[in-house]
Amino acid sequence: MPAPVPERFLVSKSTLRFDRLMTFVIRFGGIAIVLAVFGMCLFILLEVIPLFKSAKVEAVSTVPLSSSSEKKSLPKIFGLDEWSLLPFTYDGQNTVRFIDRTGAAPTTEHSVDLPAGAAVTAWRYHPGDQKIVLGTSDGQVGSFTVSYETDVDAAGQRTVTGSIEMGSFYPLGTPGQPISDVDFGGSGEDQLFAATQTTPDRIELHALLLKQKRTLMGSGEVEEIGRIDLTSQLKGRPTRLLVPRTGDAVVVATTARTVEYFFREDDTLSLRQEFSPMDGAAGGSGEIASMDFVFGDVSLVFTSPTGAMRLWSLNVPPGSDQRVFVYTKDFDVLPAGATLFAASQRNKSFLTGSQATVTLRHATTTVTRWEEKLPFTPTSVAVDGKFEHAGFLDDQGILHLYEIHDPHPEAGVPAFFHRVWYEGAARPDFVWQSTSGNDEFEPKLSLVPLIFGTLKGTLWAMFFAVPIALLAAVYTAHFLPADIKRIVKPAMEIMASLPSVVLGFLAALWLAPLLENRVPSVLLCVIGIPAAAMLTGWIWSRQTARVRSRLRPGLEWLAFVPILIGTVALFWNLGPSLERAVFDGDFRQWWPKTTGTSFDQRNSLVVGFMMGFAVIPIIFTISEDALAAVPPSLTAASAALGASRWQTVSTVVLPVASAGIFSALMVGLGRAVGETMIVVMATGNTPIMEWNLFNGMRTLAANIAVELPEAPVDSTHYRTLFLGALVLFGLTFILNTIAELLRQHLREKFKLV
Amino acid sequence: MPAPISTPPLRPLRKSPPGEAQVWLTALGLTLGVTMVVGLLVLILVRGLVVFWPQHVTEFTLREGAASAIQGKTNVAGEVVRTQWRRDGGGEEVQLHIGNKDIYGFNFHWLQSLDIVSRHQPADIIAIERLEYGDAFGRPLALVSTDADPLPATDPAFRTRLTAAVQAAASVRHQITQIEKHDIGRINRQMTSLARAQKSTPQPDFPALQAALQAEYETLAARARDLRATLSTPSLQYKSPTGDEKSVTAGEIVRFYFPNELGLTGRIGIFFDRLWEFFSEEPREANTEGGIFPAIFGTFVMTVLMSLLVTPLGVIAAIYLREYASQGVIVRTVRICVNNLAGVPSIVFGVFGLGFFVYVLGSRVDQTFFASSLPTPTFGTGGILWASLTLALMTLPVVIVATEEALSAVPRGVREAALACGASKWQMIQRVVLPSAAPGVLTGVILAMARGAGEVAPLMLVGVVKLAPSLPIDGLFPFIHPERKFMHLGFHIYDLGFQSPDSEAAKPMVFATTLLLIGLVVLMNLTAILIRNHLRRKYAASTF
Repeated sequence: MPAPVPERFLVSKSTLRFDRLMTFVIRFGGIAIVLAVFGMCLFILLEVIPLFKSAKVEAVSTVPLSSSSEKKSLPKIFGLDEWSLLPFTYDGQNTVRFIDRTGAAPTTEHSVDLPAGAAVTAWRYHPGDQKIVLGTSDGQVGSFTVSYETDVDAAGQRTVTGSIEMGSFYPLGTPGQPISDVDFGGSGEDQLFAATQTTPDRIELHALLLKQKRTLMGSGEVEEIGRIDLTSQLKGRPTRLLVPRTGDAVVVATTARTVEYFFREDDTLSLRQEFSPMDGAAGGSGEIASMDFVFGDVSLVFTSPTGAMRLWSLNVPPGSDQRVFVYTKDFDVLPAGATLFAASQRNKSFLTGSQATVTLRHATTTVTRWEEKLPFTPTSVAVDGKFEHAGFLDDQGILHLYEIHDPHPEAGVPAFFHRVWYEGAARPDFVWQSTSGNDEFEPKLSLVPLIFGTLKGTLWAMFFAVPIALLAAVYTAHFLPADIKRIVKPAMEIMASLPSVVLGFLAALWLAPLLENRVPSVLLCVIGIPAAAMLTGWIWSRQTARVRSRLRPGLEWLAFVPILIGTVALFWNLGPSLERAVFDGDFRQWWPKTTGTSFDQRNSLVVGFMMGFAVIPIIFTISEDALAAVPPSLTAASAALGASRWQTVSTVVLPVASAGIFSALMVGLGRAVGETMIVVMATGNTPIMEWNLFNGMRTLAANIAVELPEAPVDSTHYRTLFLGALVLFGLTFILNTIAELLRQHLREKFKLV
Repeated sequence: MPAPISTPPLRPLRKSPPGEAQVWLTALGLTLGVTMVVGLLVLILVRGLVVFWPQHVTEFTLREGAASAIQGKTNVAGEVVRTQWRRDGGGEEVQLHIGNKDIYGFNFHWLQSLDIVSRHQPADIIAIERLEYGDAFGRPLALVSTDADPLPATDPAFRTRLTAAVQAAASVRHQITQIEKHDIGRINRQMTSLARAQKSTPQPDFPALQAALQAEYETLAARARDLRATLSTPSLQYKSPTGDEKSVTAGEIVRFYFPNELGLTGRIGIFFDRLWEFFSEEPREANTEGGIFPAIFGTFVMTVLMSLLVTPLGVIAAIYLREYASQGVIVRTVRICVNNLAGVPSIVFGVFGLGFFVYVLGSRVDQTFFASSLPTPTFGTGGILWASLTLALMTLPVVIVATEEALSAVPRGVREAALACGASKWQMIQRVVLPSAAPGVLTGVILAMARGAGEVAPLMLVGVVKLAPSLPIDGLFPFIHPERKFMHLGFHIYDLGFQSPDSEAAKPMVFATTLLLIGLVVLMNLTAILIRNHLRRKYAASTF
């Protein structure tokens, strides 16, 4: 017996090596590709996560503000520049000092030119325009402005220099009596000083109205309009007064637990509202411990001595035509009444606190973004213009600088999914309004109207598509001859890949103008066409078998074409008569008059129709597959038992295929939810929440397509749109998974049969 | 496929089998579906083709003082767009395409039938398609040139002379485009790259080089100026239907014809001439006139790039899932997820494309390779590469699913035979499995291309523009410019229909573009379906 030649069975080394290489390439490549696809979801998720993070506030450095000689006397006011490089202090007399944070540059001093013989008795700092308002011992009010200049040298090093600019002083109230509190508002034409003045027997409240003339050369002379004594209109002794930056009002808190709101109209101040902000606050009797404006000067934050905190905002209550303060929100309770307050100049956040406990809160969402017990006792606080640093001045005259990292204060679950009471709104609501022209605008980022719009569009589309697609699928699967089915099925499949931009364009430029005048006709058709079908079927089934045998079973749908066209033509032309008879001759006016909702040309009817068109082929194909996959043994058995073709379908086929049909509906739903171009083009894209068939909507997908190109990278708006995409992704992924599981279930079931 | 159920009557029955009425109701579903599909296709086909067909121009005589007259004139002429009944019962109204936008300020006009005294189609009306202001309708008066006497329209040589002048002007325009786009474009590029090099490493001979380029530019620009000057003569004088006398230079005329005396062959000739212009020219007049060549080319390049990216990735992933991975719960889950990704809305992929490709990858690339041109982004903004990558990611599930299906359809016996002959696993896949699965893979790729070609929403985020100054592939080094923005048929439809200042004037172009896009998508789908059917038959015969 010859020995076997083992070499014959050996594989060449290079083949083996290549095989191993390819195994590696494909394993590695395959896993990498699959991971990359899922990395997409991860990336979107990572973009979204920062929206839900709370603020990070960390100590960065300490700067001694008082020089060693005056350790005991704390600066009355301190403030930060935009970069927090050069804090300034004002000692309450004649000196403003600019202190380099790093200690590299020497401290510079600037002197404040006060009127002769006057000493400062009251002061107020406005971080927005860095204006310091003063009141003097002899009854004068005035201001000066701290201004910063920033230079960036070639190496990118930033140097900040500070200076001050004096404003005018005006006598106010009883001459010679000291001012005890002062505030100023107004940047344009109307300006307003308000001050309390301590006279021997009482505390008076005075206001000074000013008007700045506008000339072609810019702002001109300031003219005094009038001095008003408001003391008599106060309930109690004034404890704190505020003037909003618009310079059109004075808000005064009093010892009588009330707040008086004086409004400037026709160059005089009149009492518009009196309210007790802390009435009924837990653990207190309604005293007001603090009162401060949030950025925009439309909302007031109040605390009671027990630490309860409330927000009152200006809005027009229902049934009124004047803007007044309305109690809108509660915050978490502080240990005691607030002694610190600084509002961000970028958003509606504010830093507040009592004693050592400080907290960063957002006025709109009422969320506490950050809270900490500081290791020192802060006496005052300031936030820089970029909302990046906060400075706390402790009782030793040392400034503690903290870095604030809170890029998305207005975000969070309450903002996205709960009703939010925005400033100026009459009630809490779901609002999507991401951008506006003005600076103090607050983005309103509720996803609820968008999700609502998505569901609305989807449901109207399904309402139209499901009956047609399912009926067609049943007919195609079990009544249509195989030779015709071979043409009909692929034709419908091709329709599934029709670009949606085409459907959207047709919807907007062809269908919308067509349907606008013919709503009654459409309504008639919706009722009339199925009725005509049933009637034809009924008449047909009454005929003798001789007549019926003339039409090959399975060709009913062809015979139906002329009937359908006739019916549509009839009802289409009957529409105007119906309109005249029932809808006062014009449906477009009748609808808003009767229902109180609007009628738009690009409405849900058009969207539903065209989006239905987009999902009909999908639902049709998948449910037809499911229906046709019902084993022939079942249908044959049913027919053998003498069931008619309809009895077979309705009692045997439909129950067996129901899971598959349901899965088809899910896939169709998924497609409709994510449909973008049709909605962008065929609706007005207004984020309203009405089920009205005759107005538009704004869907998640359309919203992304319209707004994402303009959203700045990594802004709250940008990330919120990513959140919208994630919601959309989740929604369709769940729908498709349900569909897929159902299909698998169906497959298992048929295996057993 | 089960045989359709029919219940043939064994003996003549008086009563029909129960449920016939319901069967008719289901028939309604199919009828509606088919009618809608056919209706839609016919609508687009008709309205898309009619655009290129030269229409008759009808001249209307209106009664004195008619409210629907233009500038109080009793004559008006134009192509009848449509006729409809007024809602208020005030008779019919006729929409006219009156052209002459330079005279009237609008292109379309509604006439009330009560105002119309008579209508006729005079043979002497000329239709002039112009580079600016769209069409003009009127009666030709004379051909005026600087070096000869005016040639009146009644002269027998008038038409030949006008035709010759228009053709000559077209060739001059072509030369100008060559110079301005091609030659001057090249110099511009050289200048920019020179300036950029100078910024990073200063060269001593920089001023000399710059001056040389500048001089070259001056000569070219002068030549273009001279050519342009020759376009101003001769000019055609004509009289609008309302009686205004106007003149248009031959250089402004794209095409002219006498719509009412044109025979069938003439019409067909103009039809194909316009069709060719549509396919080959660049758009004019805010995209409402001219052609859509850049959009066709952009769609083509993007689709090809996308399929080049998606095919290897999809095939490798599918081979891994089907041939290499152990078939367990994990792979099954992955398979379901991949399947589901095909149903995720395209806009989500667009969001990812913008966030990751453009803003993360693109800005990295810019910082590494194009730092000298920052802060102007090169890759850090939408472009054809990112668009293709985004769509490749979007269509990846389609290709994976199709390839897996094709792989699993390869009979087990074939694989075992290959292995038994001593082939290694990869040899088996490469020589036996992949060739027989190739048509299935192709089907998947074609379906992916069809989906990619028709998709607009993600592209709006990652680099499509309404008017791209240059093509993504051209004759300038490095020939392929993956960073460039591009035009796309689908976006063109969106832009024309919605962003156009004159949407009525844009409508014909939208329908024509739609027809082209649908034609492309349907063609690709049909190919895929045919391949699939062929495949099914092949495998049906070869099962073991």
